[in-house]
Amino acid sequence: MSDKIAVQVDDLTVAYNYKPVLWDIDLEIPEGVLMAIVGPNGAGKSTLIKSILGILKPIAGSVSIYGKSYDKQRSLVAYVPQKGSVDWDFPTTALDVVMMGTYGSLGWIKRPRQKQKKAALEALEKVGMLPFKNRQISQLSGGQQQRIFLARALVQDASIYFMDEPFQGVDATTEIAIINILKELRKAGKTVIVVHHDLQTVPEYFDWVTFLNVKKIATGPVKDIFNDDNLTKTYGINYKVSIQE
Amino acid sequence: MSNAQIEIQLIASLVAIACAIPGTFLVLRKMAMISDAISHSILPGIVVGFFITHDLGSPILILLATLAGVVTVVLVEYIQKTGLVKEDTAIGLVFPALFSIGVILIKKNADDIHLDVDAVLLGELAYAPFDRLLVSGVDLGPKSLWIVGAILMITIILLFAFFKELKLSTFDKGLAASLGFSPVIIHYGLMTVSSITTVGAFDAVGAILVVALMIAPAATAYLLTTDLKKMLFLSIVFGVFSAISGYWFAHWLDASIAGSITTMLGVLFLLVYLFAPNKGVIAVLYREKQQRTEVSLLTFLLHLKNHDEERERHVNHLNEHINWQKVRSKTVLELALKNNMIIIDNNIVSLTSKGDEFTTQAIDYIITNEDAQIEDMKDDFFLFRG
Ligand SMILES: Nc1ncnc2c1ncn2[C@@H]1O[C@H](COP(=O)(O)OP(=O)(O)OP(=O)(O)O)[C@@H](O)[C@H]1O
Ligand SMILES: [Mg+2]
Repeated sequence: MSDKIAVQVDDLTVAYNYKPVLWDIDLEIPEGVLMAIVGPNGAGKSTLIKSILGILKPIAGSVSIYGKSYDKQRSLVAYVPQKGSVDWDFPTTALDVVMMGTYGSLGWIKRPRQKQKKAALEALEKVGMLPFKNRQISQLSGGQQQRIFLARALVQDASIYFMDEPFQGVDATTEIAIINILKELRKAGKTVIVVHHDLQTVPEYFDWVTFLNVKKIATGPVKDIFNDDNLTKTYGINYKVSIQE
Repeated sequence: MSNAQIEIQLIASLVAIACAIPGTFLVLRKMAMISDAISHSILPGIVVGFFITHDLGSPILILLATLAGVVTVVLVEYIQKTGLVKEDTAIGLVFPALFSIGVILIKKNADDIHLDVDAVLLGELAYAPFDRLLVSGVDLGPKSLWIVGAILMITIILLFAFFKELKLSTFDKGLAASLGFSPVIIHYGLMTVSSITTVGAFDAVGAILVVALMIAPAATAYLLTTDLKKMLFLSIVFGVFSAISGYWFAHWLDASIAGSITTMLGVLFLLVYLFAPNKGVIAVLYREKQQRTEVSLLTFLLHLKNHDEERERHVNHLNEHINWQKVRSKTVLELALKNNMIIIDNNIVSLTSKGDEFTTQAIDYIITNEDAQIEDMKDDFFLFRG
């Protein structure tokens, strides 16, 4: 981790139909952390990521990526949406979905060529999905679909990765495979931000954490702030984690 | 074939292609209803355009009607954004309103204009060859052929230029936005193309046939392929096939051409819906039956493996103990025999070594919760499927 700030969020307020679901969020994410965003269902975790990525327009506040607006820094950022957000019956193959990760560097109108295909195949290899490259995506299991999404983000070759629940519905083997790839990314100096639901594994997987529930409750190193107090503030119930070492 | 006949088929085919392209994306975006809305609500644009130009083929009219189509989409989305009603309700509110404005405008001015609602909705392909494009006295062919041809050219150019963007934003809006391909621009681009196509085609074929040509070929193709490019190609083939066969069907019956083409589209969809190799009703039923028999077979093999006692392995035991109907036991036994999984000696059934190996592997997969692997295993072991 360096002392550069990768992502800075100032006074961010986001609303759906004029009803705010995120209030006045301030957040600084240092470069090179592997950060979990935790909070209950409906806390606004997905909304936060979408507004950082310019997918949603905030009603107030601003976001910067390495000091500049997201529009200028697009190429530095990769995104893995929540799995349910796409139509898996769409007529396309695993390889084709991964290739979509290269579209950003291509820009409008230009088509992917051999170079992009090669990058996509390498990413598929990395997540262990090469044998499935020609499968139609609805014929993949939930965990395999998640790996395809991960490969698509890898192929973007970004500096900052946002992932919305990459462990949703995957088995233990896939979870370990994914977390190892994320740790590798961090080792390579990338910043990785993950929406995560399994509180038990936070200390094991992550070094940074943000507690979110409509407002930001706390953000910082896991070892300093991952405690019952913050969990209780975030989840409302009296929380006792048994953090296993 | 007379010249007029060739021209009619040509116009119908070009309309079919021009509709199938945006239609494919509308179907994938689950927006079939919006094409229905557009096709009706362009009416006020057409009427106002006709007041100004007195010419159904004039560019100003096409522009105004296209605008009416895009306004429909904007209104639908605006109403939907209030969160008070769902999309289909919003569509149901907007297009009757716009359509009725068009109808009122026509009725109010019925004396001045030669335009009637039926003609807009149903069109009349048979008359299309009579309205010719004349440039300084030279006959360049039917006007609609030129209009539809021009629209088709634009559509094809846009498709080739923005195929990647259309695919991405249709599949994953969020990623498209985060990569800088504004889904809003692509959405309105597609809506504009759909509106222009509807407007350009309505004069020749009528608004209802436009909707059918946009949705039915794409919906049919969707049942047959898992590849977007093939889906586009098949939509075009189905559209053109229905256009031409529909024309001859009408010719033979002396019926409305638009009506016959729509019938052909329906028949084609029905056939594919029934007989498509993977998603078709019959294929699905057949697969279910096969699955049922094969699960019974596996149950039976497991039973044999678990029981050495002859009494448990008697052929009749199948009916009595495992509680199967006679027919079912017979099917299962035959399937096991055909695949060399069992031998029957004196009415006593035993596993062959192949049957034993299959069963052992299957148990492993079941215990480790990898049932899905059994399907792959069947490919290795089975000579005949259930
Ligand atoms: N498109 C939308 N329109 C209206 N309200 C929405 C929309 N999307 C989300 N919301 C609301 O915004 C709030 C935050 O949603 P968000 O999806 O960000 O939650 P989340 O923390 O990601 O939850 P989860 O853990 O279930 O994924 C919720 O109350 C949700 O109902
Ligand atoms: Mg979420």
